[in-house]
Amino acid sequence: MSSPDGAPHVVIRSVSKRYGPLTVLDRVDLTVARGELVTLLGPSGCGKTTLLRLVAGLATPEEGAIAIAGRDVTRVPPHRRNVGVVFQSYALFPHLTVAGNVAFGLAVRGRPREEIDRAVARTLSLVRLEHLGSRRVSALSGGQQQRVALARALAVEPEVLLFDEALSALDRNLREDMQVELRRLLREIGATAIFVTHDQDEALTMSDRIAVMNGGRIEQLADPKTLYARPATLFTLGFVGQSTRVRGTVAAAADGVVTVDTPVGRLSAMGHFAAGSPVVVAARPEHLNVVADAAGHDGGDRARNRVDGRVRAVIFQGSRSRIEVEAGGETLLAELPGRGAADLRPGDDARLVWPVAETFVYPDPEARP
Amino acid sequence: MTARLAVAFAWLAAVVTVVFLMAPLATVVAASFSPSPVFDLPLDGVSLRWYERIGRLDGFWPALSLSLQIAVLSTAIALVIGTLAAIAIVRGRLPGAEALATALVSPLMMPGLVLGIALLQYFRAIGFTATWSALVLAHLIVTLPYVARTMIAGLALFDFTLVEAARTLGCTYAGAILRVMVPALAPSFLTAGLFSFLASFDNYPVSIFLTDVRTKTLPIKMLQYIEEAPDPTLAALSTLILAATVILLVASDRLIGLHRMAGTAE
Repeated sequence: MSSPDGAPHVVIRSVSKRYGPLTVLDRVDLTVARGELVTLLGPSGCGKTTLLRLVAGLATPEEGAIAIAGRDVTRVPPHRRNVGVVFQSYALFPHLTVAGNVAFGLAVRGRPREEIDRAVARTLSLVRLEHLGSRRVSALSGGQQQRVALARALAVEPEVLLFDEALSALDRNLREDMQVELRRLLREIGATAIFVTHDQDEALTMSDRIAVMNGGRIEQLADPKTLYARPATLFTLGFVGQSTRVRGTVAAAADGVVTVDTPVGRLSAMGHFAAGSPVVVAARPEHLNVVADAAGHDGGDRARNRVDGRVRAVIFQGSRSRIEVEAGGETLLAELPGRGAADLRPGDDARLVWPVAETFVYPDPEARP
Repeated sequence: MTARLAVAFAWLAAVVTVVFLMAPLATVVAASFSPSPVFDLPLDGVSLRWYERIGRLDGFWPALSLSLQIAVLSTAIALVIGTLAAIAIVRGRLPGAEALATALVSPLMMPGLVLGIALLQYFRAIGFTATWSALVLAHLIVTLPYVARTMIAGLALFDFTLVEAARTLGCTYAGAILRVMVPALAPSFLTAGLFSFLASFDNYPVSIFLTDVRTKTLPIKMLQYIEEAPDPTLAALSTLILAATVILLVASDRLIGLHRMAGTAE
C-alpha cells in the first residue's frame, strides 16, 4: 500500500456507527497522511457519507476513535474541530454576499476586520473569483457557487478538507475541469482532504488513494493504479472500471497460478485457491485481444489465455469498440482501441487472447458448497 | 384571431375584477373627505373635519390600544409556536405530521362565528373570565394558521445543510440557528408576522363573543360607532387603517420583495 510522505494526519480507528438496528459503519480503520487526498468511493448506502460526517463532527460514532492532527476529536463538536466541509448542495448562505460567505468562518471566530478582508481576498483569488466578492450567491452559476463553497472552507485554514459529493451537481464537462483544477489547487496548498464520491472516474482522477467502501466496510484501500490493476475483491472489480467474467472450478494450483475449468474452456489466473473451489475468473476488457482468424498463431505460450468463439456484436464507441464474443454459452467482452475492430463482423469466428498476468480470480460469492 | 379574443377577454376580466375589488375602498376614501355628514357623489369640496373627529370618538384610544396590544402579542406568540411547530412538521420524522399540519391550519377554514361561540362556551365552562387574556388566546388561534402555513412553506425550501455548514465553520448549534437559519428565513418571518398581525387586528367575529362592555377591540367599537352616528368619521378611520396597511406592505416589498413574500419565488 503506497502512501505519500507525511505523518498521519487523520486517524480513524475501528469506528462503528449504527442507526437503530442498522449498522452503517462496521469497525472502519483509515489513516490519511498530511497532504494526502483520499477518496471514499462506493455505492449509495455504503457508509461513505456517514464516515465523512463522523470526521466533520456532524455525527458521533458508537465505537472507535477519530484523531485529527494528533488530537482525539471523537467527542468534540464540529465547531471546535477546525475542519472545512464542501457540501453537495454547497450550502451557501443565501442572505450573505460571496465575500460574506467566505468571511463567515473567520467572523464567527471573532478575527479582526483587516485579517478577514485579507483572507477573503486571498482565498477568492485562489479559486479565481476575486472579482465577484460583492455578488449575491444566488446570482452565481453552479460552477462559481462550487468555488465559493470551496473558498469558504479554505478561508478558515482547516486541518482537513472534507468534500461530500462536492462535484456531482455540476454538469459533465465542468465537473471534469473542476476535478483537474481542484486537484491542482489542493496539491498547491498542501491540503489534507477526504473526498466522498460514487463516481469512479472522479475517484481515479483526484485521489492519492481510494478507499472502496461496501456495506459499511472498506473493501480495498489502494492508490488508483493498483486499485484498477489489482482489484482485491469482486466488488472492487465491479465498481471500478469494466470487467468481463466467467464462473468456474479450480482444476489445479501451482506457484500462485490456478487453472480453472470454465464453460469457455480452461483458463489460468493469478491466485491461490485449492483445487475444486468454485471461483469467478475475470479480466479487464481492454486486455482481451481479438484475433479474427482462429487458426492463426499467437505463439501458443502458457502466459496467455485463449478462448475461441464467435463474434456476437461489435459496438462502436468512438475512440474504442466493444466486442461481445460468445463461447461455450457465455459472453466475453473485449475492448479494442481506435479502429482495431474495423474488420470484425457479427458471426465471424474469433479467438480472444489475453495475458494470464492480467487475469483475476475470486471466490464465487453465489456458490455455497 | 381566437387567441387575440381570449387575451382581450382576459384583460377585460382582470379590469372588471380590479374595479370590483377597489370600488368600495375608493368610495370609503372619497367619503372620508366629504364636507357634509351625508355622503354624496360628486363631492362638493374637500374637508378634513372627519379626521379631526376620530380622536374625539368615545373610547377610541383604548380600543385602538387594545387591538394593537392583542395583535402584537398574539403575533409574537404565534411566530414562536408556529415556527417551532413548523420545524417539527418539516424536519421531525414524527408520525401524523401531515395531520398535525392540517389541524394547525384548519382554523382558517372554520367560520369565525363558530370559533367565537365555541371559545366563549369553553372559557365559561372552565371559569376563565379574564377578557384580555381570553382575547389573546382566541387571536392566537386565529393567527397561528397564517404563521404555521407560511413557515411550513418557508422551511420546506430551507436547506438544513446550511446549519451544518455554519457549525463546521465554527458556530455552536444555537449560533448556527441565529446566524444562518433566522436570517435565511427572514422573508418567511416577515410575511407570517404581517398576515398574522392583520388577521388579528381586523378580526371581528371571534372577538365579538369575548369582549365585555369596557374591553372592546377597534373593529367592534367601529361597528358600534356606525350604529350610533353614521357620519363619515368611520370612513376617515378606515382610510387611515387602509393607508397604514399600504405603507406596511410597501415597506415589506422594499425590504424583501412581495414576490418572495407570496412565495412565488425563492
